[in-house]
Amino acid sequence: MKRKPQVCLEIEPDLVAVATGDAAAGAERRVEHHIDACASCRGEFRRYREIDGVVGALRRAPAAPESVARAREGLDSRLADLKSRLVSYRVFPSPLGHILIARTEHGVSLVEYLGGRTDFGASRLSRAAGLEAQEDGAEIEALHRELLEYLRGDRRHLEWPLDLRLARSDFHRAVLQATASIPYGAVTSYAGIAAEIGRPSATRAVAQALRWNPLPIVVPCHRIIGTSGALTGYAGNQVGLKQRLLAVEGIRAVGTRHDSRVERGRLYHYDRNDQHEYCLPTCGDIARRPIGPVTLLASRELADALGLMPCSACRPDLHPLSA
Amino acid sequence: MMGAQPFETIVGAHHAEIYRYLRRVTSRATEAEDLSQETFLRAYRAYRTLGPDANVRAWLFAIATNLSRNHFRSEKRRRVAHLAVSAESREADPEGPEDEARLGEVRTLVEVTVHGLPLKQRLAFIMRKIHDIDYEAIGRSLDCSAESARAHVFQALRKIRLSLNGHELPPGASPTNMERPR
Repeated sequence: MKRKPQVCLEIEPDLVAVATGDAAAGAERRVEHHIDACASCRGEFRRYREIDGVVGALRRAPAAPESVARAREGLDSRLADLKSRLVSYRVFPSPLGHILIARTEHGVSLVEYLGGRTDFGASRLSRAAGLEAQEDGAEIEALHRELLEYLRGDRRHLEWPLDLRLARSDFHRAVLQATASIPYGAVTSYAGIAAEIGRPSATRAVAQALRWNPLPIVVPCHRIIGTSGALTGYAGNQVGLKQRLLAVEGIRAVGTRHDSRVERGRLYHYDRNDQHEYCLPTCGDIARRPIGPVTLLASRELADALGLMPCSACRPDLHPLSA
Repeated sequence: MMGAQPFETIVGAHHAEIYRYLRRVTSRATEAEDLSQETFLRAYRAYRTLGPDANVRAWLFAIATNLSRNHFRSEKRRRVAHLAVSAESREADPEGPEDEARLGEVRTLVEVTVHGLPLKQRLAFIMRKIHDIDYEAIGRSLDCSAESARAHVFQALRKIRLSLNGHELPPGASPTNMERPR
């Protein structure tokens, strides 16, 4: 076979591109010019035009619709599975130490104090079976901002959709749901929550469930204390954190690190009476009755917001507690 | 932030095309099924980090291409795929009028040649000529420049041209402003 002249070799890529409708700028004129003079390349050009036609037919050939549908069906089911397992998280600094926030498609599933550690390995998420964790920036960033506002006292509500799947049982979920309904600035007891969910003898189990609360701060287990007013436990043995969170809401605790209790004398009391009246702590023996049946409230605004009326005997409206 | 539209919309808009792409690349329905699913699972994991102006289609092609390259890292798999398409395509030859039969035969030859191409040439050729992906995006998918992507397609076409030596082809049908019948 005769060797192609150099000029034909050089123009070949352009010739092929032009013939197959894929020319780079300026190529057309060069190719046109060349094949006017070169019969062999004119033949090549025609050949590539024909090949382009065959490729076009290939492009238009339909794929078997049933195999596309089958692949899609498989995808939908695998995607649903992934969505149920995928958890995105981020670790960030806060005044309470490093905190990890994680969320699934359904909502926030974990808020975790990491203490001095900052790595994912310190999180219970790294040991959770059946989940796929992935670090995520933007989505968690907004949650982070809101949490910091909350800790500064600039925000009272974290209206986050929650995913309670990391709760260990239905009982734990029920405890968390009851706890989530305790409003900002109010305090009740483990026994109070046990009564609320219809398991009045399960006080210890309630305490245990809150010990494993996967969503501290958001599900405000810091608002649950002992019937006597003792802060008892929090996030392991970090009662100091509980004290700080309550202080943000206007509830002060006094005492030592190991034995601190809320100052009932500075809080309004509500004993679920039929008249829906709230009282001063000095009203009868109310301040000596166990917390739980009695809910403590940080402010009159909160009592108003809950639809409560001032007690007609002690008149908290006329004698408000000093802040 | 989550991408501009729900991920299901992305699946609805692009799944069939990505599947077809992979079906051509892999030649076996089960492999294409698996790789197309894997493509969208990967895409879902990364979707929320995708910028609002991203070209979703080119991005999905890049993921699918990447997965294919990993899949075919073993040369053996590639050979098996090549043999499979040769057999499969022969069965698929259409019967009918002579022209159609001839076109069918030629198409099969092209398909077999494409499947025998080195992987990068094959991927570049299918992306460019079947799915009309631009050279910049093909280059990004294949970790090479747009120029190299163009060169891959050129080499692919040359090999197809050689494989069709001695075969009569139907006249070219695609539009170009360079009709030169003389």
